[in-house]
Amino acid sequence: MAELGSITLLLALILAVYAVLGSVLGAVRGVPQLVESSRYATYAVPVALSMATFSLVAAFVTRDFNLEYVAAHSNRAMDYVYTWVALYAGNEGSLLFIALVLSIMAALAILLAPHSLKESMPYVNAIMMAVLTFFVAVMVTMANPFDTLPFTPPDGQGINPLLRHPGMFIHPPVLMTGLIGMTVPFAFAMGALISGRNVDDWLDTGRVWGLVVWAMLGTGLLLGAWWAYTILGWGGYWAWDPIENAALMPWLGLTAFVHSVMVQKRRGMFRMWNIALVNISFTLALFGIFINRGGPVPSVHSFGASNLGWVFLAFLGFSLLFSFAVFFFRYGALKGSRPLESMLSREAAFLVNNLLLLGVAFVTLWGVVFPLISQLFRGVTVTVAEPFYNQVNGPLLLALILLMGVGPLLPWRNASWRSIRKALLLPATVSVAVVTLLLLLGIHKPYPLIAFGLCGLISGGILQEWARGTRVRHRKGENYAIAFGRLIAANRPRYGGYIVHLAVVFLALGITGSSFFSTQKDVVLAPGEETEVGEYTIKYLGGITQERPDRIESFNTVEVSKSGEGTRQMTVWRAFYPDFRMISTKAAVRSTPVEDLYVVSSETLEDGRVVFRFLINPLVWWIWLAGPVVIVGTVVALWPERQPSLARSRLPRRVEPAPAGMD
Amino acid sequence: MLAVAILVTACGAGSTESSLESRAQGINKSLMCPVCPSETIDQAQVELAAQMRTIVLERLAAGETREQILQFFVDRYGESVLAEPSKRGFNLLIWVAPPVGLLGGAVLLYVILLSMRRSAQGRLTEQPSSVPVATAEVLEPYLERVDMEMESMGVVGPGNTAEKGRD
Repeated sequence: MAELGSITLLLALILAVYAVLGSVLGAVRGVPQLVESSRYATYAVPVALSMATFSLVAAFVTRDFNLEYVAAHSNRAMDYVYTWVALYAGNEGSLLFIALVLSIMAALAILLAPHSLKESMPYVNAIMMAVLTFFVAVMVTMANPFDTLPFTPPDGQGINPLLRHPGMFIHPPVLMTGLIGMTVPFAFAMGALISGRNVDDWLDTGRVWGLVVWAMLGTGLLLGAWWAYTILGWGGYWAWDPIENAALMPWLGLTAFVHSVMVQKRRGMFRMWNIALVNISFTLALFGIFINRGGPVPSVHSFGASNLGWVFLAFLGFSLLFSFAVFFFRYGALKGSRPLESMLSREAAFLVNNLLLLGVAFVTLWGVVFPLISQLFRGVTVTVAEPFYNQVNGPLLLALILLMGVGPLLPWRNASWRSIRKALLLPATVSVAVVTLLLLLGIHKPYPLIAFGLCGLISGGILQEWARGTRVRHRKGENYAIAFGRLIAANRPRYGGYIVHLAVVFLALGITGSSFFSTQKDVVLAPGEETEVGEYTIKYLGGITQERPDRIESFNTVEVSKSGEGTRQMTVWRAFYPDFRMISTKAAVRSTPVEDLYVVSSETLEDGRVVFRFLINPLVWWIWLAGPVVIVGTVVALWPERQPSLARSRLPRRVEPAPAGMD
Repeated sequence: MLAVAILVTACGAGSTESSLESRAQGINKSLMCPVCPSETIDQAQVELAAQMRTIVLERLAAGETREQILQFFVDRYGESVLAEPSKRGFNLLIWVAPPVGLLGGAVLLYVILLSMRRSAQGRLTEQPSSVPVATAEVLEPYLERVDMEMESMGVVGPGNTAEKGRD
């Protein structure tokens, strides 16, 4: 089985290299047969990589410990269901996973590409296959999942205990798919640029892939936060860890892209900038994958230091140079966009949006890299952790939320102060009402007041738009429910966007609530002893500790009561894995839209008392709600229109008064 | 350590005790665990982190200030034990660069927008000074007419539901 794996890996490499060379040569020399056969090669690569993956799975299932990777990430006692996680638990396996995902996405991209992009497609194919070649080549030469040991150990080391959690079944795959998926919009952008044609056409496909990748990355980030919340046991969900940051930065770049794409679609502007954004996001995604491989920055995530990091850095540098070169040589093809009419317009607002998003990305990158700079220039390592990011990114994120409230209310091209005032009236009123209410409730901290006020602003603006649109349709005879549904159906990208903005409001609510109003209490409780945390009375009932073959675990149960709400029991789980010298916990969380009661235990002392951490985290529930809402919004935004919209697309609903003198 | 634990558990929700505890938590969140990959001693579950938390609590109870306690750990473990770099000397760079960078970006953006506008004014010489703004209210009557005309043409559109034999 292992031989099959190695062979199919090599096969995939050959196919990918052929696809690159064939596409480029075929396009440059005008040999369509080469281009076509390269397309078939691209279709064949996922088949080869699937077989390689299958053989790895088979090796796990048959407990083939002669394979180094299998021995390192499984053992006889391991439940078969964990094979899925074991596939990407280690460096080599995750590279295979990434390569497989990329090959599937590349094949899909080629298959589904519209005919209008014909001239660019060979280059699109070449770029995607070039990236794939890199990953497969790295596997074949430096990190082969099918490397064998000189002997066969009787048992493997088992899978990392932190991975034995439902979140780990989806968070890494989704996140890795999002990161490597960045290659597709990048390839479409670069393909259009290299071919010199399609400088506007690529945007339709680029936008679709961009949104899909954006949604996957965002979901992956949220899933990671949820996993950290329930498993790592400190009660938080985001630590500005370098790896978290590495996935956040391309997501920010993509967010900027999906916004400024709208300007190019609507007004043909920002062509250069959109391509630059895609480049930036792709570079950041590669950087993210690089840091994950054991770059020079320590993290709870990294697979461990190795030479691999430097190879990745070299590839990153190469791709950056390549992007710049193409950009530089094809600059002329991008010029000639429409001028900007007013600083007070949606176009300008989108640019400010981009500035802020990239600002956050820059600050995050700066924080990740600064320890290295400090080491280089001063010889002293400093740590850049949560406090830095909170202080510096906080205001930027607030400004972004403000923009999210005001921007959608700005019209295109030009806005008069009067129309802005009119549009802002209701949302601003809601915002002031919210702040006043909070002040009356005794909340005085400026940050959360501003944040909640802005959430009111945004929600007011969105609901105002929905109400207005529904009312217009209602007057034509539809009842409110149908009017609303048809309104969304008729303006899917826009209303999908509104839904996603609403999800961001939920995120902001949750983050603000839990960041500023959390209560934490660390106590030691003996069985029967009780303590008070906020409005809750918590009594430690007792616990059991038992030894399992691979761990020593303890279950501790507490009884929680709150006046007027009755009592409930919550059980926390904690285990120590001697083989891994690692501790895994599962917090007991009682989550309501108002607040989370979070219970986790650390050690059990000799006298039977247990060290507990109790947290009251307000509004965290809304963070998790944001996830499905983002997905719904993205689906709505991407849902294709029915085909007989031929007439519809020829008669767009946008009516722009065309002044004399415009081209 | 036992004494401190008793101290913590014996007190009820007294305000001095909770403010001591919350101050301790604040300091814990500002100190990194020296042996963990990137966790604060508030997050980390290892023995060393627990010991450090105890020391923080003891020293706070003894009346030391936050700066003194942080300095105590810096003396022992070096600057990297702080969760954020100090705002002195070389480290000032990390704090100053973001606002400077942002300001620079904003200036750049403004200049770019200005130049885009200037090219607009250069091109549109006979432009009326203000373009009528196409708000939803302004457009409504026009869009209704569009819908009516589309309907009469037998075209399915967003504003009408007539499916006159077109799939």
